[in-house]
Amino acid sequence: MIDEKLLEEAKQSVLDGDKELAAKLARQGLDAGVDPVEFIEKGFVPGIMEVGDLFESGEIFLPEVMMAADAVKEAVGILNEAIEASGKKRGGAAKVVLATVEADLHDIGKGIVASLMVANGFEVIDLGRDVPSQKIVDTAIEEGADIIGTSALLTTTMTHQKEIEELLKEKGLKGKIKTMVGGAPVTERWQKKIGADGFGENAADAVRLVKELMGKKTN
Amino acid sequence: MVLTRMGDGAFVKMTESEVRKEVEAGVEEAVKKAKCSPLTEDDIKRLIEIICEPRKFVSVERGNELVLTYDSQPLKFTRLGLPIAMPQILQTYERGLMADTLEMAYVHYSAKPVKMIFPEEQYVVAETLLTTTPALLYGVMPNMPMYTKPDGPCENASELLPKGLIKEAQEAQLEAADLLERDLLLLGEAMYEAGADGLDLDTTAAGGDAEFYACLRAIEKLKERYPNMSIEVGMAGEFVLGFHGSLEYKGERLAGMYPHDQCRMIAKAGGNIAGPAINTNTRKSFPWNLARAVTMCKYAAEVSPIPVHANVGMGVGGVPMQITPPIDCVSRASTAMAEIGKMDGL
Repeated sequence: MIDEKLLEEAKQSVLDGDKELAAKLARQGLDAGVDPVEFIEKGFVPGIMEVGDLFESGEIFLPEVMMAADAVKEAVGILNEAIEASGKKRGGAAKVVLATVEADLHDIGKGIVASLMVANGFEVIDLGRDVPSQKIVDTAIEEGADIIGTSALLTTTMTHQKEIEELLKEKGLKGKIKTMVGGAPVTERWQKKIGADGFGENAADAVRLVKELMGKKTN
Repeated sequence: MVLTRMGDGAFVKMTESEVRKEVEAGVEEAVKKAKCSPLTEDDIKRLIEIICEPRKFVSVERGNELVLTYDSQPLKFTRLGLPIAMPQILQTYERGLMADTLEMAYVHYSAKPVKMIFPEEQYVVAETLLTTTPALLYGVMPNMPMYTKPDGPCENASELLPKGLIKEAQEAQLEAADLLERDLLLLGEAMYEAGADGLDLDTTAAGGDAEFYACLRAIEKLKERYPNMSIEVGMAGEFVLGFHGSLEYKGERLAGMYPHDQCRMIAKAGGNIAGPAINTNTRKSFPWNLARAVTMCKYAAEVSPIPVHANVGMGVGGVPMQITPPIDCVSRASTAMAEIGKMDGL
């Protein structure tokens, strides 16, 4: 059982984006003999979850999100070392390959999604923009990614998202590597039509979706 | 049953009481997000009438017609593959489509590429002015990301932020904003000197708060030099993205501004028309989206010291996100924006 005050301070250090304090609290917790897994889940994770909510409601902005992410990274790094030393395990973070599809040069939305995913502790491989479908799928295979996330801003380029589904089917990876789609003209109807696993209306939605898809992963 | 749509354009049937619930939820969401005033009960009743009207096309009562301004008029015809020159497209808008105003625009529509060819564009503006009578604006998208790598010289904040390089990302944005401001000044001056009545900045702040900052500064400087120049500022979305996060214009933080504050800032800079763009949520219904959009726009019009022309089109202003925006929704959204939102134009 971890002291409520310590959990609250950990959460607040994330909300304040104070990485020195987050690291200090992580060490303080370890010195007091807390369970590092529990400390991450009940102290630092709620902090970054609240940061996501505040970002979604427009109360904080990307630089603040990234400062909070830095604080989490610092504290979790310290706690993870203790977890490894104790031989315990913590569920692995999602590995996501992100890209704006081929012939599409719009990467602002995808950049926000990448930032928020990193802030939530996911491992993000951002391939940038105008990325051929084959390269996206190949990278996901090489990197052992859990999820492929693609963005398209144009009605003329969103068809590449369907191409990715077909490539995964050809390789027998449909369902093993989950797919999520987003972008201005992309809708849930389109996601269902092409057989993608999820649709994100915005960046915060995309983060929720990754968590949901990780729960459904079949391999 | 009322035949209406979802935000992605799919048809859906609702009872009138279900429409009311959707409308009330949309109003509530607007109030929560934008911290604006809700619609009155009379407004809600009128909005439900407009949505539930059985006719496919709905319009305003006589006397409630609005002035229309446009974005990228020439491009609408170019995209259809019609081989008509820019001046003739604007003549068609004036004489065939009865447009109230005209907007000349280059096919790329971003400030940076137009800069390379602005003398040619000045010629097209001047040529069009010889054969048309409505006010003619020159339109460009500020599109600040064109100044960042790989399209421009500045570092790309979208790549720096996920790496945690916050200070570097902020500096890169200021550098890009400075270049954008210079190009907007160049284009504004060039087109005004060529005879255009003014400038339309379309999808402003698509690149976040630093882009909005550059536009406001450019407007301020242009108006200092040309007090009679008309400047319309159409926004990219309902909310100014906080990519930089701490930029201020005249003492107010730009990140996170909703339409009413956007309109105030545009007026402070010297802009003449503000164009809020309220995003459509494709998972929600048309009544929900329209109620939300009208609530935000009505409040913006109440607060704004300058005329407000709401964006009503694909994926904005309550209209579903469809390649061809459905006329049943476009006409209802336009009517609601005029009669309930009290817009000055669309």
